[in-house]
Amino acid sequence: MKLLTYLVAAVALVTGPSVASRSLISGVDGAAAMAGQPPAPPNRIISLIPPMTETLFAVGAGPQVIAVGSFDNYPPEVEKLQRVGALLDPDVERILSLRPDLVVVYESQTDLRAQLQRAHIPMYVYRHAGLADITTTIRDVGTRVGRAAAATQLAQNIEQRIAAVRKRVAGLPRPSTLVVFEREPLTLRGIYASGGIGFINDMVTAAGGANAFADVKREAVQATTELVLARRPAVIIELRATVAPGEDTRREVATWNALSTLPAVQQGRVYLFSDQRMSIAGPRVGEVVEILGRTIHPEAFAPGH
Amino acid sequence: MEVPAEGFVGILGPNGSGKTTLLRVLAGVLRPSRGQVLLDGNDLSRTSRPLLARRMAVVPQETHLAFDYTVMEVVLMGRYPHLRAFEIEGPSDFAIAREALAATGTLALQDRPFGTLSGGEKQRVIIAAALAQISGAAAAGLLLLDEPTVALDLSYQLELAGLLLDLQRRLPIAIAISTHDLNFAASVCRTLVLLKDGEVLAAGATADVLTPALIRDLYGVEADVSRHAASGRLVVIPVRRVGAGPAR
Amino acid sequence: MTPAPLGGRLLKTLPWFAVLAIAAIVGGPLIGSTHISLRRAFDPAIPFADNVDAQIFFVARLPRTLAGALVGSMLACAGVVFQGLLRNPLATPFTLGVSAGAALGAMLAITFGWSFAWIGIPAAPAASFIGSLAAVAVVYALARARHGGMSTNVLLLAGVTMNAFFSALILFVQYFADFAQTYRILRWLMGDLDVSSYQPLVTALPLVVISFAVFAWLARPLNLLSLGTDNAATHGLDVTRAQRAAFISASLATGAAVSVGGPVGFIGIIVPHLVRLMVGSDHRVVLPASALFGAAFLIGCDVVARTAISPVELPVGVITALIGGPFFLWLLVRKS
Repeated sequence: MKLLTYLVAAVALVTGPSVASRSLISGVDGAAAMAGQPPAPPNRIISLIPPMTETLFAVGAGPQVIAVGSFDNYPPEVEKLQRVGALLDPDVERILSLRPDLVVVYESQTDLRAQLQRAHIPMYVYRHAGLADITTTIRDVGTRVGRAAAATQLAQNIEQRIAAVRKRVAGLPRPSTLVVFEREPLTLRGIYASGGIGFINDMVTAAGGANAFADVKREAVQATTELVLARRPAVIIELRATVAPGEDTRREVATWNALSTLPAVQQGRVYLFSDQRMSIAGPRVGEVVEILGRTIHPEAFAPGH
Repeated sequence: MEVPAEGFVGILGPNGSGKTTLLRVLAGVLRPSRGQVLLDGNDLSRTSRPLLARRMAVVPQETHLAFDYTVMEVVLMGRYPHLRAFEIEGPSDFAIAREALAATGTLALQDRPFGTLSGGEKQRVIIAAALAQISGAAAAGLLLLDEPTVALDLSYQLELAGLLLDLQRRLPIAIAISTHDLNFAASVCRTLVLLKDGEVLAAGATADVLTPALIRDLYGVEADVSRHAASGRLVVIPVRRVGAGPAR
Repeated sequence: MTPAPLGGRLLKTLPWFAVLAIAAIVGGPLIGSTHISLRRAFDPAIPFADNVDAQIFFVARLPRTLAGALVGSMLACAGVVFQGLLRNPLATPFTLGVSAGAALGAMLAITFGWSFAWIGIPAAPAASFIGSLAAVAVVYALARARHGGMSTNVLLLAGVTMNAFFSALILFVQYFADFAQTYRILRWLMGDLDVSSYQPLVTALPLVVISFAVFAWLARPLNLLSLGTDNAATHGLDVTRAQRAAFISASLATGAAVSVGGPVGFIGIIVPHLVRLMVGSDHRVVLPASALFGAAFLIGCDVVARTAISPVELPVGVITALIGGPFFLWLLVRKS
């Protein structure tokens, strides 16, 4: 019985879906691909993923988008569109009923993908990765929706902006930077910081900082008080997706004063960004890297520099 | 009904007649819906619970402990009504506890966990605890036992009867038991109270109350009541149920 | 073992437990994933704002150790009291729905981003305490509904019902939470003693003091309650008053502990069991011993949690669960 279980597991692993593949391209329109012709550009697109929605609009495919995910809110045009759920709760019935010809899904939404496959609906499978993969994805998606030129242009703009920032901060000493993307309000509990992997880490590096948790090979680190004190960051950047009602930014920043040995606290370099674009791995990363660059190395962006 | 100061009262009645309820009312656990319960002329409901507990102790039918206490700990719990808020037991309490255990012949068991004792031993320990509880009271204490013979075999029943009579002789206590074992009641109780459907059917000296007529009224059973020559005790022998055929 | 008078027993056993608790409180801040110099930490010449060792000791580790002591002792004692109240050695501080109410409160605060900035206190602990109060109030009202007394059977039923009801509400609220919030809630549920300031401890202190005072008074009544409610009454105990005091004090202690460190499981059942094995069942010894042992035990678990796979930490609830599972197996095997 045990042997059988092992055999079944082994077979499943080997023949499993291409989830395991590291490629970002997947889920192609089967019939057209087999016929050897390029598929016609889709004009009924549904996107469940905020950065992908932004990308679609940024490459000019906005008019073809018929529905978006629950957490998509940029650009403003998406406010008028229907919502079909998100990562944990995609509304499969609604998605199918809208008869899309392309659905942008997360890699981990295996149930949804299986259902779309059965309904012969083409998919674009998104996988969250590092900074460089963002422009790759933009080019990829652009091609997929028939906007290759606009996509290339967009991707190049972003890459240029990031390269410009890199150039400005090149050679400058890298301050130890703590990037916090989650924390209990008004207290230093439940701090989640960026680890050494992922696009936030890459952005900090591009902007001339040294991630305080670069050695932890995970996307998120639960940073305890002791850990933060031990790492002694010189810059603390807090990212909040939305401004909570009644939130007093100054009070939140002042919460860090309890750790008065931190160079960041002593030099007043604690920054709180209640800006939703800061944590989206989408077309606006160029702007975000610039903002981070100005924050970490204000001296490199002073006029006349 | 009345329980005289050093009396030995038996409360008899069929199942559902209200024996246990009466016992609980006497102990002050239940409030009577009508009438009063007086202890030395004082209304129970106006007497503080610790005070009542110092005068009256109940030996229930069964004792299940939620946790493993030793025999001595169980007996010492009988002394709690005598302790003030944060006071702990003193040497006199220990002495009383040991005396109570000795009186019931269970002193040797004092370190044993209560749960490891046999049914008869448990009952004797609980009686000791009850004695410790009412010990030291200015006036006579009252021991209430609820169906004490239910779980005991013949030998232990005799033992219990002897123990209760012995305690009564030596200590200034009154005893009241509720039971449906007529012979046991006849062997130890000096007065009886017959309960039927929650009312007192008859009360008085054992010999006066334990008559075939009252037994028929109470249990619906034809019975012979005779005096056992050797021991002088009354013995009840059920013959047949009222309305049934001839005796077997 | 000849049972010595209670005074003697207390004198013989409690000092050992006190030593254990003090060793844990003193030793806890000395251990950690970062190496610090004690000499520097206690050097008054170095200004606090420049003394990293001192900040790690006094801001990171010491409050955390004290939180462990507080939560550990409260949950252990609450466990003892609930077991005495329900006359069941398997009862825990979470049996009657208190922690489910607390979890719901914290979840609501996290999911809907509540802010009590105007009072100046963090939302999640306050909301969790309010949630626990709500659960207690409902269970209490249900248990009292029958003829003004307090039937432990009704109490148990009401508590189990509350647990189920709050769990359903929790699942419902979960639906509104996004990925990050879900992760935060999950981690809160696993327990977190990293308070990083003395404020939560100071806030909880009045409740701790009151709870311990009531527990001290409850020791004898709990002994009597284990005989059964009728027997306890014939021993002179005001049973309803004792049950109410037990229920309310243990529930408040649990609510306070959960609002400080989250619902850390198994403390409320492992510690009372171990303590009874060591000192017997007299609550006058079990309660203080459980407070001391509970403090030491949770501090120990937290030390393991923060050093086992450093620099990353395990939630302390995982450690207590890893100990709790085998502990129960051992209990089962032992009894048979």
